[in-house]
Amino acid sequence: MALAEDRRRLTQRLTVLRVAIGVGFVLLAFGFWFFQIVQHAQFKEMAENNHQRTLTLRAPRGIIYDRTGKLLVENRNSFNISIDRERTKDLDRTIRVLSTVTGVDQKSVKDIVDRHRREPAYRPIVVVPDATLAQVAAVTARRLDFELPGVLVQEVPTRQYPDQDMAAHLIGYVGEASEDQMKDENVTTGSIVGQFGVERVYNKLLMGEDGARRVVVNSMGREIRTLEEVPPVQGRRVQLTVNYAMQKAAEDAFRNFGYNGSAVVLEPKNGDVLTLTSLPAFDPNDFATGIDRATWASLNTNKLRPLQNRAIQGRYSPGSTFKVLIATAALEEGVITPERQIFCAGGGTFYGRFFQCLGKHGSVDMRRAIEKSCNTYFYTVGDMLGIDRIHKWGELLGLAGKSGIDLPNEVESIVPSQEWKRKRFKEKWYSGDTVSVAIGQGMVDVTPMGLAVMMATVANGGSRVVPRLVKASDEGKGWQPVAMPPSPYPPLLLKPETASVVRDGLWLVVNGSGTGGRARIAGRDVAGKTGTAQVISLQGRERARGKTDQDLRDHGWFVFMAPKNNPEIAGVVFAEHGEHGSSAAQVARHIIETYFAQRDGLPLPVLTPRPPATPTTPVRAAAVANMAAIAPPEAGQGDTALARRSRTARFVAEPR
Amino acid sequence: MFERRLYHHIDWVLIGAVLAICAVGLAMIYSTTGGAGRVYWTQVYALGLGLIAMAIAVSIDYRSLADKSHWLYFAMMILLVGVLFFGSVRGGSRRWIELGVFNLQPSEFAKATLALMLAKMLGEERRPALTNNDLLIAAGLTAVPFLIIARQPDLGTAITLLPILFVIAYVAGMPMKYIYAMLIVAVLAAPIGYKFALKDYQRERISTFLDPSSDPKGAGYQQIQARITVGSGGMMGKGFMGGTQGQLRFLPVAHNDFIFSVLAEEQGLLGVLVALGLYFFVIMRALDAARLAKDRLGAYLVLGVLASFTFQVLYNITMSAGLAPVKGLTLPLMSYGGSSLIATLAGFGLILNVRMRRFTN
Repeated sequence: MALAEDRRRLTQRLTVLRVAIGVGFVLLAFGFWFFQIVQHAQFKEMAENNHQRTLTLRAPRGIIYDRTGKLLVENRNSFNISIDRERTKDLDRTIRVLSTVTGVDQKSVKDIVDRHRREPAYRPIVVVPDATLAQVAAVTARRLDFELPGVLVQEVPTRQYPDQDMAAHLIGYVGEASEDQMKDENVTTGSIVGQFGVERVYNKLLMGEDGARRVVVNSMGREIRTLEEVPPVQGRRVQLTVNYAMQKAAEDAFRNFGYNGSAVVLEPKNGDVLTLTSLPAFDPNDFATGIDRATWASLNTNKLRPLQNRAIQGRYSPGSTFKVLIATAALEEGVITPERQIFCAGGGTFYGRFFQCLGKHGSVDMRRAIEKSCNTYFYTVGDMLGIDRIHKWGELLGLAGKSGIDLPNEVESIVPSQEWKRKRFKEKWYSGDTVSVAIGQGMVDVTPMGLAVMMATVANGGSRVVPRLVKASDEGKGWQPVAMPPSPYPPLLLKPETASVVRDGLWLVVNGSGTGGRARIAGRDVAGKTGTAQVISLQGRERARGKTDQDLRDHGWFVFMAPKNNPEIAGVVFAEHGEHGSSAAQVARHIIETYFAQRDGLPLPVLTPRPPATPTTPVRAAAVANMAAIAPPEAGQGDTALARRSRTARFVAEPR
Repeated sequence: MFERRLYHHIDWVLIGAVLAICAVGLAMIYSTTGGAGRVYWTQVYALGLGLIAMAIAVSIDYRSLADKSHWLYFAMMILLVGVLFFGSVRGGSRRWIELGVFNLQPSEFAKATLALMLAKMLGEERRPALTNNDLLIAAGLTAVPFLIIARQPDLGTAITLLPILFVIAYVAGMPMKYIYAMLIVAVLAAPIGYKFALKDYQRERISTFLDPSSDPKGAGYQQIQARITVGSGGMMGKGFMGGTQGQLRFLPVAHNDFIFSVLAEEQGLLGVLVALGLYFFVIMRALDAARLAKDRLGAYLVLGVLASFTFQVLYNITMSAGLAPVKGLTLPLMSYGGSSLIATLAGFGLILNVRMRRFTN
C-alpha cells in the first residue's frame, strides 16, 4: 500500500537524518574538546598576549650632587608617545593620523618605526619622545574615539641638567643603549644608559632597576585595569668631588675673558677633582630625550670640537710649566743645588747650536730662574739631567702617561725618553733634543690633567694622586663614601728642601716680578707658573701670515697651588689661543679666589665683565670657527703634530 | 478551535528545552554587552513576542495554515520585494523594515513560510509518487525567495532556505540517484564557482579560512580570534562575564554571530557540552514530532522548519570554533536578534502544533 510504503520510507530517511545530525554534533563536540582541552595551553597564552601588555616602568636615575650638596643632575617627568604595533589594525593609517594630530613630520615617524621594525611587535615604539602637553592632549582626545588604536602615552622620568652645559664633559649624558651596551650591561632595548662622563662610568650606580606593570587592554589597546605592578627602584644618589662654585667660577671666567680651554683643580691630599672643565661644551639636555640628527651633526662637525674633553683628550706642548718638573727632578737627583748660580746672557750654546732665552737674566739661582722663567738656566739643568731622568720624574710626578681619572678615553701625556723616541720615530735621541724638552718644547706633549696631577704631587710633597670624581653614594641608607682603591704609586717623599725651593720659586712668579702677577691674591700666597704652547712654528707663522684665517695665536698655560705652604688646591688652566700664560692666570685667579671665599664663608668674588682680551673682528670670529687643522693637536693626530714640532720648532724657545 | 484536550498533548518538554536555550542566550548577551543594557532588553522583549508568536502558531491547526500556504507564500514574496525597495539599509544591505521600536527582518520569516508551502505541495494526501515535475516546481518555489534575499544582499540567510528544499524533497522520496548526482556536480562545480561565481571578498574569506595566518589582521582575524576565544576557555571556562576575548572585543559581534564562542570561553567545555546537548535534544525531540505526525503534511512541515534550524545551528557553532568560513549566520535561539528569535519560536510553534494534533482528525 502506498501509504505504508510512504511511512516506511519516511521512517528510514528520518533515521538517516538522525544519524547524520548525531554525527555532526559528535564531531562538533570533538572539535571543541580538541581546542579547549588538547590545545588549551597554547590558546590560553595567545589570549593573554591579546589582552595583557607589560609596560616597562623606567627607573629614575640617581640624582647627582656636588661635594657641597648642590644639585647637579635631577630627573623630570616627560611624556613619550608610542605605537604598539600589535594593536594597530592599520599601521600606515595610525602613523598618518598620529603625525597629523601631533604635528610631527610623517616621514620621521615612519623612519623611527622602520628602524625598530625587527623588534617584537608587542614592544611599543616611542615615536614622539618628550611630547608637549598639547601633543599629549591631542592624542588622548583622539584615542577615545578609536581613531588611534594602539597608540599609548607613557610618563617617563627623564634626565635634567639644570645648569645646562656646565661641567658637561665631566657629568656626561645619557642615551638609548647601543647593541654592545645591551650585551655588556645586560639591559634591554630602549633602556637609557650613560653614554659619556660620570653618567657612563658610574652607570651601574646611577641606573636603578626598571619596574614593570602588567595591564589588561582591550582590542583597541586601551588600558582597562592593572593586573600587577613591580615598582621601579631609583638609581643611587651620587655625590661628586666637584665643587659647584669653583666649577662655575672657572667656566664664568673663561667666558668673561673670552677663551675656550680647560681647567682642572685637584685636592692635593687625595686627588679629589674640584673642577674639571672643557670649553666649548655641549648641553647634555639635548641628549636626554634622544638627540635630534641636526644637533648631533653640528656637534660633530663643529671645528671647535665641543664633544672633546680637552682636560683629558687635548694634548699640548706644556711650555714653561714644564720647568716645575725640571726643577723638582734636578733638586731630587742632586744635579744642582738651589743656590748654585748660572749665568744667562740671553741664551746659550749647546751641542753646537745656540738656544735662545727671552731675556738677559745675568746670574740666577733656582728660585730666580723659576721666577724669571730663565731658559738658559733650564737648558743647562735639563742637559745635566739627561732625557731619561726627565722621563723618570715625569712618571714619578704623574705627568707622563694617563692620570687614571675615572673618565673614559683619556689620552696619554708624553714626556719622552730615549727608548720612546727609538720606538716612535726609529731615531736615536740627540742630546740637543733634551735642551728643548727642558723648557717644555719639542717632543713633550701633555694633557691639562697631566699637569694638574704633577702640581698636586709637588704640592703634597711627592705622593702621586689618582684623580677621582665620586665622593660618596647613597642607596637609601645614607651617604656611603666610595671606597678609594689604594694608590698604585709608591709614596715618594720629596726632600723638604726641594718642595720649599720649588714653591718659593713659584710664589715669586706670582708675587714677585714674574709673569704670573695676574693670579696674585693678597694674603692667599698663590704659587704658580705660566707657560706658552706654540700653535705654529715661527717659520710656519711667516708662511701663514696673511694667507690664512685660522687662529694661530699661541695657547696660554697657568699651573698653580695655593696657599704656598701646605697647599689645599693645585691645578692648571689652559687658555686656548690665550697667547701667553697670563691669560690663563687671570682665569685661575678667579677660581682660587672663589675657593678661599667659599672656605672662609666670604661672599663669592664677582667678575667684572670686560671685553675679550683681543678685540674680536669678523675675521677673527671666522678664524675661531675654523680652527681645526693646526690646533689643538688631539689624540691620534698628536703624533704627527708632535713630529712636525720636533723638526721645525726644536730650537725655538719662547718662555713666558 | 483550541480544544481543551489538545492542551494535554502540548510537548512541554520541548518548550522547556527551547526556553532553556533562550535563557542561556540571554545570559551570554548579558555577559558580552556588559549587563542589562539596550541589547539585552530588546532580546527579552523579542522573547516575549516570540512566545506570543509561538502560541499563535500552535493554536491554528497546521492543516488550515497549509491550506492558506500559497497566500502566505505570495504575501511573503511581496513583503520581500518590498524590502528590496523600501527597507532600511544597515551594514551595506537592505534587510529590515522599520517598525518604530523594532526592525523587522522578513527574510527570517520566509523560512517557515517556505517550509509550509513545500510541505503542503509535496505532502498532500492522495497525491501519487513524487515526479520530476514536482521537484522542479519545489525548486522554483525555493529559488524565488532565495534570489530575492540574495539580492539584499544576504547570502547567509538565503542559503538557509536550501536545506528546507533538500530535506523535504529527500523525505518525500527524491530518488537517491539525484542526491548522488547533486553531490558529484557540487564537487565538480566548486572550483569553477570559486573562480567565477564568487566575489573577491567571498573568495578571500574562503582562502583565509584554509590558512588564517595568511592575513592575521584582515579576513583571517575573526577566525583566529574565534579559535583563541574557544581554546582559551579550557574545561571550566573563565567564568560568567570573566571572558577576555569577548569582553575586550577582540572577537567582533560577540553577542551576535559569535555568541557560542563566548559561551565556550566563559563556561568552558562543560558549558559547550550542555549547550550542544540542549540543541541536540531539541532537534531529536522535534524529529520525533515528524515521526509521530498524523500525516505527511505534518511530518514534512516539521522537517522543513527543522532543516533550516539544524543547518544554522551546526554551521554557526562550527564557525564559532573557527572551523568554518565566517558568514553572517546567527545561532538560532541564542544570538541577539529579535526577528530571528520570533521567527524561530514561531517555527517551533508549528512543530508543537503538528505533534499536538497527532491524534486529531
